[in-house]
Amino acid sequence: MATFEHGSVKIEVDEDGFMAEPENWNQDVALALASTEGVGAMTESHWKVANYLRDYYKQFGIAPMIRKLCKETGFSLKEIYDLYPSGPAKGACKVAGLPKPTGCV
Amino acid sequence: MVTENRSYNAQKVIERLAKKVNRQMAGSLAACVHCGMCTQSCHYVLANPDDPTFAPAYKADRIRRLFKRHLDWTGRIIPWWVKAGSVYTDEELAELMDTVFGKCTNCRRCTLNCPMGVDLAVVNRMARGLLVSVGVMPEGVAVVSKDQWEIGNQMGVLKEDYLETLDWMSEELQQELKDPAVGIPIDKFDCEVVYSINPREVKYDPRSIADAAKIFHFAEENWTMPSEGWDMTNFGLFSGDDDLGGAVARRLYEKVEDLRGKKLVISECGHGYRSTRCEGPNWAKYDVPFEMESSVITMLRYIKEGRIKVDPSKNDISVTYHDSCNNARSCGMTEEPRELLSYVVKDFREMHPNRAENYCCTGGGGAMSMSEYTPRRLKSAVVKADQLRATGAGVVVTSCHNCVDGLTDLIRHYKLGMQVTQLVNLVANALVIEERVAIPVEIVPEVTAAGSLAGRKILVVDDEPDILTFFASVLADNGAEVIEAREGQEALLKARSEKPDLVTLDISMPGQDGGKVFEALRRDPDLALTPVCIITGRPELRRLIYDRPVPPPDGYLDKPVNEETLLLNVKKILKVV
Repeated sequence: MATFEHGSVKIEVDEDGFMAEPENWNQDVALALASTEGVGAMTESHWKVANYLRDYYKQFGIAPMIRKLCKETGFSLKEIYDLYPSGPAKGACKVAGLPKPTGCV
Repeated sequence: MVTENRSYNAQKVIERLAKKVNRQMAGSLAACVHCGMCTQSCHYVLANPDDPTFAPAYKADRIRRLFKRHLDWTGRIIPWWVKAGSVYTDEELAELMDTVFGKCTNCRRCTLNCPMGVDLAVVNRMARGLLVSVGVMPEGVAVVSKDQWEIGNQMGVLKEDYLETLDWMSEELQQELKDPAVGIPIDKFDCEVVYSINPREVKYDPRSIADAAKIFHFAEENWTMPSEGWDMTNFGLFSGDDDLGGAVARRLYEKVEDLRGKKLVISECGHGYRSTRCEGPNWAKYDVPFEMESSVITMLRYIKEGRIKVDPSKNDISVTYHDSCNNARSCGMTEEPRELLSYVVKDFREMHPNRAENYCCTGGGGAMSMSEYTPRRLKSAVVKADQLRATGAGVVVTSCHNCVDGLTDLIRHYKLGMQVTQLVNLVANALVIEERVAIPVEIVPEVTAAGSLAGRKILVVDDEPDILTFFASVLADNGAEVIEAREGQEALLKARSEKPDLVTLDISMPGQDGGKVFEALRRDPDLALTPVCIITGRPELRRLIYDRPVPPPDGYLDKPVNEETLLLNVKKILKVV
């Protein structure tokens, strides 16, 4: 475990920079994490993706399929990658405060 | 015998050791002479020169001591001399876990550099399997293995979600190509190709599935994707659990058999390819009745058979190629991806060292799923980063999903600013999509054939009279002037006197083999630029060509060669439209 500090935000993260305690997530944390994932500014579209991931994770305890994310937010695959250049698994999930997705990612 | 005081888990590990060690492992455990040749071959050592615990021989000794103490006679008689030892506590098992999971990616580069042929990876994997059998493993490995056991794929993707994603990709393709007939057929019987993928593709980035579907569509392939048994990745390779390895592989094999598929094509994934094609039949004890092929070879085949057309100028990028350890070192697939790249990009820059000598992406052996070792992984990645930087390329291509993630991570860490992509994306992007015009089949040879090779002089070199006659008649029928040679010396003399536009060269010939002839041609200032197409019935003989320090040949053809393939490739090399 490591500590990630950015401005006034101080959180515990795993060695890949994902939140160790997802329940401590808030908007300030998201903004801080976004700065590490090549996201310039968190626009309304960014929040829409992050909030959906957050809700899905709270309900099912895992990250959703990219299909669900696109369908529910109305964004195309390309738009998701434009919003989060490091992709849905690493970029968007990290900003939304999810733990690191499992498997070869 | 004195009863030794061991923890429950340590006792189980020792009891199971004897069942795990096969002859190959025993050879590797007995043969090390501690010469140190392996030390400089390991990326962990190169990045941590002051830490001897990263040395392959040291890591192997952590396991070797158990073998010496419990299985080898020398350890019973002179244990202090052969450094025999045992494990007693759970803390010692945790230490062993740190070594076998956290300090080695099972990439086998040390194996290649060992004069005694010690295969550390096979021993390391065995030790992982022992620890996993008593539940000692990194959490990431446990989670993924559980999903693969229980849900049938390593990311816990449910069947309905998988099928919905494939439907989605079909719809996207239909819109892109404005053709309602395009799509991904599911569970179709009697197909030539059953296509299997990595769950990462379906869960997070299905663009590679759409790209593959596009290629199959334009190649007019009779193909399908299975509704179950579609995960060709296999955590059994990483965890050392042969039972899991066998169960996962069996799911794929049985599904292909159910569908009466002719060939299982495996998407670009190094460990998946090795597990499914090379190791799986042994783990599953399954006599696989169909062919298995990497999608890299499938795509190359389509281009060489003229089933798809590609235009390299569509990929206007500078690329280098990263050989995955499992593809290159363990399965010998080193040339096909390069040949495929030569068709789809113009600016290729070789990485050094390369092929079987390439360094690990640092994410191999399941390392990407073990966050606890990430700082160590990224530190060791400095070797890879230097290698990438030296190529000067903007994009690194690799045929392995694990490498994609390992490379992406280290590129970010070392701020290299490079992109990572796979061959399927480049091939799909380079596709030349023509308006389809229905031409009656029998007219085709006349349209493309007559006179198209007129004015071209081709030297055909082969020691088999039948092949010589066949090549000569096909090429002559198409207007070429053909010169024949039956062995190497004759070929060189005729090449010098006749100055052909192209040489088709057999590798395996009595006397001077094709490799030597090829090098002589390339070294002759008058002939250095003459295109050469290498012909062989035994692809492993291509080694005779690869090792030569001269520019590579202009094409390869594998025997048996049919008329169509021969003409297509000859025309391609001679740039005859």
